Amino acid sequence: MTADRPPAPSWRSALALTLALGAGVAGAAEPLQASVSERAGRLVATFDLPTAFPAEIERQLGNGLTNVVALVASVVPERGGSPAAAGARTLEILFDVWEETYAVTVRDARTPRGRRAVLPDFAALRTFLSTQRDLDLGPAGELPPGPLVLEVRLDLNPVSREDLERTREFIANPASSGRPGGGSRSVLAAMASILLREPEEGEEFRLYRSSPFAAADARGR
Amino acid sequence: MPLPWKAVLALVLAGPWTPAAGEDDPTPREAPRRYVIERVEVVGLETTREEEVRRRLLVSAGEVLNDEQVLLSRLRLLQLGWFSGVTTRVERGSERGRVVVVFDLTERNTLLVSDLVLGWTPPQGLYGGFGLAQQNFLGRGLGLSGAFVYGGSRLDRPQDPSLFGVRGSFFAPDLPARRQRLVAGATALFLRGEELTCSDPDCDAYAGALGGAPRLRYERLGGEAVLGFRPGAFERLTGGFRLEALSAEIVPGSGTDQGPAPAILPGESLLTALTGSYEIDTRDDSFFPRAGVRATAQITFASPFLGGDYDYSRYLVQFESAFAIFKKRLRLQAAVGAVQGDAPFFDRFYAADFAYFSIGPALWRSMELNFSTDSRYDTAVAMAGLEYAVPLWTRRGFLRRGYLALGLRGVYTTTGPGAGRTDASAWPVSGEVALRLDTPVGFFNLSTGALVDFLL
Repeated sequence: MTADRPPAPSWRSALALTLALGAGVAGAAEPLQASVSERAGRLVATFDLPTAFPAEIERQLGNGLTNVVALVASVVPERGGSPAAAGARTLEILFDVWEETYAVTVRDARTPRGRRAVLPDFAALRTFLSTQRDLDLGPAGELPPGPLVLEVRLDLNPVSREDLERTREFIANPASSGRPGGGSRSVLAAMASILLREPEEGEEFRLYRSSPFAAADARGR
Repeated sequence: MPLPWKAVLALVLAGPWTPAAGEDDPTPREAPRRYVIERVEVVGLETTREEEVRRRLLVSAGEVLNDEQVLLSRLRLLQLGWFSGVTTRVERGSERGRVVVVFDLTERNTLLVSDLVLGWTPPQGLYGGFGLAQQNFLGRGLGLSGAFVYGGSRLDRPQDPSLFGVRGSFFAPDLPARRQRLVAGATALFLRGEELTCSDPDCDAYAGALGGAPRLRYERLGGEAVLGFRPGAFERLTGGFRLEALSAEIVPGSGTDQGPAPAILPGESLLTALTGSYEIDTRDDSFFPRAGVRATAQITFASPFLGGDYDYSRYLVQFESAFAIFKKRLRLQAAVGAVQGDAPFFDRFYAADFAYFSIGPALWRSMELNFSTDSRYDTAVAMAGLEYAVPLWTRRGFLRRGYLALGLRGVYTTTGPGAGRTDASAWPVSGEVALRLDTPVGFFNLSTGALVDFLL
């Protein structure tokens, strides 16, 4: 007898990879319109990402292949420190080249198997993606005193380390200096070699940061 | 301030995994689309052969479109190092239900600087060298490299022949075969060099007049051909044959000090050897690895049974970890080697090659040419070192990445059992402070250790 295992939430692996690739290229945090409130003993966040999906991204999201947007939101002290609450969500976007519609599957901790929406065009998709509602941040425990902010990290198509390992090969050519120990060096430069570079995909992400709020504000809403 | 991602991950993974009662959790009910791939297009190629790209794709015409296979194909192409960009898209096919998968490729520079040498020593004066390596030769992923070092005539001996070395190498890292993935390569070299043969490393008897010092003048012409296979994705096992025609001549000094010459047969001789090597490289990045190791083991057997004049064996194992020792940005480097029999001097170990710098006349060699006054070669070597890295930047542009390396390395060489350490350097330990750069034309190492080597 085999037990039916629930499908592993893809957002979990995407998130793990997002975190593993944390040392990527990113600019400063952009301002974030957000609200954090308590509902049935849990913290939920609603936020807008109006700049995250510009018109130019239609070419990427409409490429007919699955694109993944990974979002990680966390409540952290304004002055920095460990997050007091956090949650993640992935959105899998698939443009159907024959139907010319966008299918979006949203997965998060509350709906790990996903909920699906079909959108007629890019404008509708953009609206759908730009406002994220009710992202579960976990139990509404003791939020620390002092000003807090909601930080959101957005990754487009994060690549899992497992996928990188599956595709990586030892194809680097040997060092051209011949036998080890006899290699050349210099003050100006030394051995060069390349290859096995990390793919550029997955290196970019965007950070958003809300204006400060107090723990009482979250509980009182 | 960046998010503390590890803490976030711990929090998130501890979150609720099953939907709470009453939560909206509609399982997607629509069956996934099942489009059939009508054809696969590869666009954007300039020098790379299309068949070299296609044999690495995991999708083909007639299959049902599988997004994951397209993604893995894309990653495989990126990992080759031939492309700076690989984008994929799906377009409508000739009829409903059929699609075209397009791989749009942007090629990157694969011609790299492999050697850049500039130095000055009292007996030689100025010398320098340069090397280039093409990593995608003929658009087939073949490696072709060439390098030279030129020193000209020694100072005080302008009538002497120039000292120089040239080397060319070819390597096929991934030859398609039915059941194995083969590798093959060939190297050719020509060197004309000199070793001063004073009885002391500094040639004190000829101080100020090194042109009168005794010397061994030699030439090496030959090469090596190797063939092997890849036992695993990150391993190579090769065997080869090495052939070199050697000539050596002792040029007496003008004084009484006529020290021993480095080991080599006088006159014309022939070196023939079987070689074997095993190489494993699991590093995640060849510039600044954060995981994995690189190790090589090499064996050389030279014997008159192979038609040559030399009878010896040589063993060398080298190891290098990622910057991950003790969960710090620490890298371990180690080497151990030994030679048995009557190996020519250039197949023995030159201590300065393994050190960051040497306090004394010994100086790292350039393409195996020794421009210092110290001609002591040893039959055993052991080296161990640690390097600490401070990442400095990651950005777009010519200087893509940079880090500061702080290293400490100990080297022990000896002429034989019981002979004690050869004091090629007054201290067996040397240090390094280097700025390492990742650029589109190769990795560069601005090394104070190398500078110190010239000064001390």
